[in-house]
Amino acid sequence: MKKLGAMVMVAVSAFAMVGSVASDAKACGGEWVPAVEIDHRPEGIARAEKTLKKGEHAAAAGMIIRMMPHVKDLKAKKDGTLVARAQRILALAVARNNGALPIDKELPSYVQGTWIGKTSKDKAANLEWSVAALRKLNDIKKDDAAVQSDLAEALAKVEKHRAEAKEILEKLAQKDLVATPEAYATLAELRSAAGDSEGQKVALKRCESMAKSANVCRAAA
Amino acid sequence: MTRPLVLSLALTLALASGCKKKHEGASPEAHPSATGAAPSAVQAGPTTPDPPRLAGDAERGRSLVEKFECSRCHGGTGLAASPFEKHCITCHQDIWNDKFKAKPDKIEKWKKTVQLYLNAPNLEAAGARYEPAFIQAFLLRPHKLRPNMISSMPRLRISDQEAADVAAFLTKGEKPAAEAPVGDEAAGRQVLESKACGTCHVFTGVPDLPVKPTLTKPWQKGNDAIELAPDLRFVRDRMSFGMLTRWLLDPTKVRADTLMPKMGLSEKESKDAAAYLLKAKLAPAPKKPIPTRLPVLERKVTFEEVEKEVLLKTCRHCHTNPDIARGDGGPGMTGGFGFVPRKLDFSTYESTNGGLLDLKGERMSVFTKTKDGTPLLVASLLARQKEEAGELDPELRGMPLGLPALSAEQVQVVESWVAQGRPQ
Repeated sequence: MKKLGAMVMVAVSAFAMVGSVASDAKACGGEWVPAVEIDHRPEGIARAEKTLKKGEHAAAAGMIIRMMPHVKDLKAKKDGTLVARAQRILALAVARNNGALPIDKELPSYVQGTWIGKTSKDKAANLEWSVAALRKLNDIKKDDAAVQSDLAEALAKVEKHRAEAKEILEKLAQKDLVATPEAYATLAELRSAAGDSEGQKVALKRCESMAKSANVCRAAA
Repeated sequence: MTRPLVLSLALTLALASGCKKKHEGASPEAHPSATGAAPSAVQAGPTTPDPPRLAGDAERGRSLVEKFECSRCHGGTGLAASPFEKHCITCHQDIWNDKFKAKPDKIEKWKKTVQLYLNAPNLEAAGARYEPAFIQAFLLRPHKLRPNMISSMPRLRISDQEAADVAAFLTKGEKPAAEAPVGDEAAGRQVLESKACGTCHVFTGVPDLPVKPTLTKPWQKGNDAIELAPDLRFVRDRMSFGMLTRWLLDPTKVRADTLMPKMGLSEKESKDAAAYLLKAKLAPAPKKPIPTRLPVLERKVTFEEVEKEVLLKTCRHCHTNPDIARGDGGPGMTGGFGFVPRKLDFSTYESTNGGLLDLKGERMSVFTKTKDGTPLLVASLLARQKEEAGELDPELRGMPLGLPALSAEQVQVVESWVAQGRPQ
């Protein structure tokens, strides 16, 4: 019994010591603030999506590369994840800039990689990556007209994939499922290249009625 | 019945569009909102429900209650309540009462949406309170039963037989005895007035009760009784004389946790009140006028405006990206309440243009022209306005489902945006 009493005493005094240490710490520097790491990427990616929508492709791409310098090597397992969204932004930005992102002034050289597209080889590699990334998204999100529109846009930038791009867009257009003005601009350009000027006009008109800025459709006119 | 109707519709439309030039001719396909199980007489008014009176199978009904996920909104279905993340009412009430764990700005934003769905009637002891034929008819042709509630029973994809089966399960196969109402109607009216039944109930079709319900806030504790109180003109569709007198005498004996108070009526008073409720001459049901369709606007309408005025207010609750809605994109996206996933996502401009799956699983545009040339999205909004006026389109489910129809001005915004080629 005496032994038990002594053990309780020891426990109580140890507890009291812990308490006093804590209050001493408080006395010499205010509250202890735990370091919490905040993931800013969800907000950053949402901002990049808005930037892309505004037509500022290179700026959107820059935001992604700054947040995820290794984005190229990441694997999106599910649609809607940060990686999937980041890759979509970057892939579209690359395609809309024909494989060469003018980001040399805003990003340090060690993260620029091949994105600037200095050589035609780099440009081609960038565009192939863009196609591959959007293909992967298309595989994840089956039968999604918005993803298919994006993919077709990227495919149209690579000569060997242009027929596939046209096939996708024609199918979507037939069902009124072309999701973006950029995809309509692509379709107009593909139809024009195929000698279908009537079809080009129709697609162009759709692009113009959808787009916020006439610039989006200008290249296909 | 579903397949032949949809297939014939698809075939008709396919033939009609067969000669179209291929460019951008949005090819209309099987109507996505075709119920496939259309009620035979769609025009029947709510007070004359014309119940099909099919014999229901309670066992089948049980699995249908599961399929239609009745327990996501209603208590007392006979099945376990849905888990929290699936239970609409519990989750909405938590948000409304600041009990939901989320950032305060999010809570404030969500409150604007959830205030539309904060209550649903409890179905406990349904057999002692509702005629099976009423449940059957109501499931097929839901209408505004509770005037103080914003939301109402959604129009499910349900056949006559399925409705009868659900009714059989909920009423536990009870067959109410046909009893002719006996009682003094004039005295019954006096009972309703002296007991201030009008505090919670309205009774359309008879002279106004002296007191009227007042709801100061959309939902708060203490207001539930007013929100859930049905319009008394529908009592005759819902209850037999025997049911009603028992209910009026002591509602807690019928359902222990009912919000209907025991009014301390004598047997005679309850019979008189029941006689008045069941036999009082009713003026025709007040018909909500169908708003006049407004012409398309000449000024530019952008997606931003459509999003702010319409999509964010109602549509996104059932049609959104599951990744930003805890995995559940809503019944119109990922499925639920007996609806198959239609993958219609209004969360972005691109996804809105990306369309939905038709009943064959083929992607189609939500702007596909319906028979009269109206884009499907607009037609669905107009169909809801007609539903509120008692006109159910057998081929098209009105949207928003179970919520008040959009105003003529809101529909005009959507229609103008579509007509202008859907500008960003």
